[in-house]
Amino acid sequence: MHRFSATKRVKDLVGDMAVVANLGPTTDELWHAGHRDRNFYTYGSMGLCSSIALGMALSTDEKVLSLDGDGSLLMNMGTIATIGRENPANLIVVVWDNEQWGQTGYQASHTAFGTDLEGVARSCGIEKTATVEDEEELEATLLQAMREDGPWFIVAKIEEEEYLPVAPIEPEVTLHRFRASFGA
Amino acid sequence: MNWAETIVNCLKESGVSLIAYVPDISIHQVTRLMEEDDYFHVVSATREEEAIGIATGAYATGRNAAVFMQSSGFGNCVNALASLCLPARVPLPMFINLRGEVGEFNIAQVAMGRSTRPILDTLGIPYYTLDTDDRLDLRVSGALKLCYASRQPLALCMTPLLHGGKLA
Repeated sequence: MHRFSATKRVKDLVGDMAVVANLGPTTDELWHAGHRDRNFYTYGSMGLCSSIALGMALSTDEKVLSLDGDGSLLMNMGTIATIGRENPANLIVVVWDNEQWGQTGYQASHTAFGTDLEGVARSCGIEKTATVEDEEELEATLLQAMREDGPWFIVAKIEEEEYLPVAPIEPEVTLHRFRASFGA
Repeated sequence: MNWAETIVNCLKESGVSLIAYVPDISIHQVTRLMEEDDYFHVVSATREEEAIGIATGAYATGRNAAVFMQSSGFGNCVNALASLCLPARVPLPMFINLRGEVGEFNIAQVAMGRSTRPILDTLGIPYYTLDTDDRLDLRVSGALKLCYASRQPLALCMTPLLHGGKLA
């Protein structure tokens, strides 16, 4: 599975759901898949994608989707424990897992050596978990996660591909548009 | 009203209802009150930068949020402030217990405690030091008003002269 193609399918499924994107290619590809005011692009703060999504999920009744990455989540694995403890029914975490730090030179990440992020989520008390290998499986699991209470934790195995151009977006504008979509 | 009750009251008046924090024995006097109060959702984070992320997410959906930590934990979240809250202009009140002040007993707490305000200066983040309960309500409510008006993080650094220091 390739992330950009999968991201386009996710975008077509989620309607007006809030989506938080991990820094770098995940944010760029979400923008290239089609800008929405409810896309929360991140540009730095590596590791905090799902923490930001957790804060959103605790502040709205609507579903919130985090598009995280294996390298980033390894930097802040504690947030999986906080998600388990808070147990927000409306939070869906998708981890794009390419088993490497792609953007920094394709160094192998710990998931290439057996670290099982789905297992970590389960040990933190998150019961709705899955690992998906292709777009059809991802789509089916995401649809189920949108219907059923969570929190959900979905590891999506991907292969790295060429990066798209950096998205022309400004953090301040992102936050302003996103808040306005929630009437703030 | 004691200093902890004053801070809780000021947060309510500013509509701050989500608190993300990492435990500290001195700020426990405040976080304990908020955990007992249904107005607040108090989230225990595993690390201070995680608390920054959670608070930012809450603000993004229209809910005001603050973080509580000690100065050692401030050292854990500098990049979250520099690469998330500053560029996105997130008004984030940070209540920081300053270690390394009068009465400190632990040498390992001194350097980070005494570096906290210089680092805030370098980041361009305004701060106020709370070392007395004299006019505390005006100081805290005024700082919160400034934080939201300027749409940037702001720190309130609390010393043992305010809260009585480490109790255990």
